[in-house]
Amino acid sequence: MRQTSGTKAEEREFFQRFGLQFRVQHILLFLSTITLIITGVPLWCLGRPEYGWSQAVVSAFGSIDAIRYIHRAGAAVLILVSIYHLYYTMFTKEGRREFIELLPRQKDVIDVTINSLYFLGLLKYRPGFGRYTYYEKFDYWAVYWGCVIMIGTGLVLWFPGVAARYVPWFTYELAAEVHADEAILAALALFIWHFYNVHFNPSRFPGTLLWWHGKISREEMMHDHVLEYYKKALAQTKSKGQKAEPQNGTTV
Amino acid sequence: MRKGLIATGVLLWLVSTLYSAADTTEKLLGDESDGSRAIPNHLIELLIADPIDENKVVKITPDDKPLLPFSTRQTCGACHNYKTICSGWHFNAPDPNIPPGRPAQPWILVDTATATQIPLSHRPWPGTSRPEQLGLTPRKFLELFGRHTPGGGVGEQESTNSDEITREFISGKLEANCLSCHDADPAHNQSEYAIQAARENFRWAAAATCGFASVSGAAKYMPDDYDPFMPMPLEHPKLVPPTISYRANTFDEKKRVFFNIVREVPAERCYFCHSNMYLVKKETEKWQTDVDVHLTAGLTCVDCHRNGLDHNITRGYQEEGIVSNNPLVATSSCQGCHLPEKSSSTPVAGRLGAPVPKHPGIPPVHFDKLSCTACHSGPWPAQKTTLVKTSRAHRLGTLNVNKSPYAMPHIVSPVFAKQPNGKIAPHKLIWPAFWGVLKDQNVTPIDIEVVRQTAGEIFAKEKLTVSGGWLSLGAEHITEALKKLSSEKSVNGKSVYIAGGRLYFLDETGKLCQQDNHPAAKPYLWPIAHDVRPAAQALGVRRCEDCHSPEAPFFFGKVWVDSPVQGKGGVFRKMRDMYEIGGPVYVRVNWFFKLLIIGVMTLLILHILGDLYRRVMLWLANRAK
Repeated sequence: MRQTSGTKAEEREFFQRFGLQFRVQHILLFLSTITLIITGVPLWCLGRPEYGWSQAVVSAFGSIDAIRYIHRAGAAVLILVSIYHLYYTMFTKEGRREFIELLPRQKDVIDVTINSLYFLGLLKYRPGFGRYTYYEKFDYWAVYWGCVIMIGTGLVLWFPGVAARYVPWFTYELAAEVHADEAILAALALFIWHFYNVHFNPSRFPGTLLWWHGKISREEMMHDHVLEYYKKALAQTKSKGQKAEPQNGTTV
Repeated sequence: MRKGLIATGVLLWLVSTLYSAADTTEKLLGDESDGSRAIPNHLIELLIADPIDENKVVKITPDDKPLLPFSTRQTCGACHNYKTICSGWHFNAPDPNIPPGRPAQPWILVDTATATQIPLSHRPWPGTSRPEQLGLTPRKFLELFGRHTPGGGVGEQESTNSDEITREFISGKLEANCLSCHDADPAHNQSEYAIQAARENFRWAAAATCGFASVSGAAKYMPDDYDPFMPMPLEHPKLVPPTISYRANTFDEKKRVFFNIVREVPAERCYFCHSNMYLVKKETEKWQTDVDVHLTAGLTCVDCHRNGLDHNITRGYQEEGIVSNNPLVATSSCQGCHLPEKSSSTPVAGRLGAPVPKHPGIPPVHFDKLSCTACHSGPWPAQKTTLVKTSRAHRLGTLNVNKSPYAMPHIVSPVFAKQPNGKIAPHKLIWPAFWGVLKDQNVTPIDIEVVRQTAGEIFAKEKLTVSGGWLSLGAEHITEALKKLSSEKSVNGKSVYIAGGRLYFLDETGKLCQQDNHPAAKPYLWPIAHDVRPAAQALGVRRCEDCHSPEAPFFFGKVWVDSPVQGKGGVFRKMRDMYEIGGPVYVRVNWFFKLLIIGVMTLLILHILGDLYRRVMLWLANRAK
């Protein structure tokens, strides 16, 4: 759906891209992830003398116990939001629709190829993207995979006694190594890749509040999700022909 | 007919069952307790085997000529089953059928003249060599190490060497010395045992420790035709044959002698062989140190380290039940005494007043990954490991001990390393240094006598330190010695030298090369059990930072690398290298994630750069328009 305001400055047309449920999940996800990174890195560095600063971070939190409790609180939020997301994708209409949209398709492979040629200057135009670009799908599935790994290994580290009883092949050391490695990859991907794509690239710098209000401008829609734009325009045209024009503020 | 057959069968079964159930071993007077907790009086006759007929026993009286030392095998064995006793842990090292159990303190052969310090054991503990590999026959072994054995075992091994059989007739065997542990007489002198062992007075050694006997002379210097049972005057006036004298009034009117024997061995007796001196400060004195918290609480060593007649003493580690049939092993470890066993019908924890630890705030993973001793035993870890002297390695408690802190061998402690059960524990560590032969990546030590004779003159040029520390070996010494050893006939293979965790060898051109991390050059470690510190002095008592901080010795302490090779000694390795996680799965996972991180991030950054590049190009094109 689109919203249009009356004043000149606000004549930009906006579309509601993400619903409330989606946004709440995303906010909980990034809050817990950032907490986990802030508390996890010093805990990881404590075992390495070359990172003496980690002791200062631990002291700032009060003690290792304190930093560990915060880390586990963050982990608990991540686990809850992950469980809720499973429910959301299976038992809500919106969730199912978003999940289907996020599934990788053959077009994504073609898009990667075309976009790479475009970057190299060998093609004049970018590929037209649907509701989710291939790099947004990559973000989603990276987080999906990351949560499975991080929650799995984190639980082994949190409850080593239970883990030793049920998954003895998955040793504590192995879990610690995988947990740390995957965390490094996730943190790098988050702060470099995801932040560039959603906040720091020239068309969005210094950032977007899409995560907060869930709205996207027509220009952004045309640039990043042109196929979805036309799909929705077509749907609107059809509905116009059949019914009255939809009211402003309703979901597209 | 049928009924008759059945009845006969049942009868036969009953007879055979009863026969097999009957204890056919003859119980001697002292083999079985009558229930009294009082100390039995040991006013007994001194006995020795008849030199002509070993099956006959002869009583010793003060008027005998020559006066002979009593035999523990006969004197104590009259009432206690000697053979059963000698199957115990302190005596059974040479028996290949005895499971070795957790690696423990080895014997350490030190030869400063050839820059050698090598851990030895009759038990197949990985990292130790067998004494015979160094050319130590049982006799030579006893001369060197008999001082801190309780006799028996190697002391009674039959020699196959004809020369040694002759000498054995003169010196006798080093029988199990019951008095080493059970003699509570304040006049007991265990250091006499060391003197007699060095003089090869094995037959006299046990008697010499008694307060009522004194021994002079040395069997070692007696001619091969000397007969200790019918001694003839010696030609050489300075030679003194081994002779015993018993103090007046030792024998009562029935020619019996009183032994102050106790069933429960006093800790001081254990200390003769099991003392440690941690050289935390340059001058470490006994009064500056505390004893084990258990002893302070009033226990003795044998309250936990118990055994029955078979002397199969509990060593006290958690997995001992796998190799020991001692019924008390399960309840004699740290956990056995201090932690409640939920499945037990009667409470076994808290024995002897052992408090049940609460460990408040300590994450449970610590109990999976650490042994109790990691936090509670040995000296409080410092930034650098310290040298430690032990009774058995440094002859503590014997005459003319080298009191220098740098006396060989160099044992380093506390080193936190993984035990075979995967738990980290504090250890003592020794860096082996020896000359060996490399064959199929295995290194076998060369007979120490061969090294002395072949390469001894090379090292003789170098001055030995006054402290008894290492000879200083240069590359030229090692090169020359390896060349000489390679040309020696008895050295069958490529000669190598191992020291400070490195293997030195000569390449085809004769150039000295070195290899780090060869399995044969690995340090030998054995766990520290005592002294146990009180809970208030356990690691972690000052919060997690005792271990989890950038300076914590537990992770970042420095382990001294000991080597006689110039420029290689006195360096350090990180403590955590001693228990770095390994294993093929771990290494593969580690590599997989490293490659994954590098690969994924490279692609993502290229994507970002591609996007930026295209945007800049577009911007420049628009600007040009």
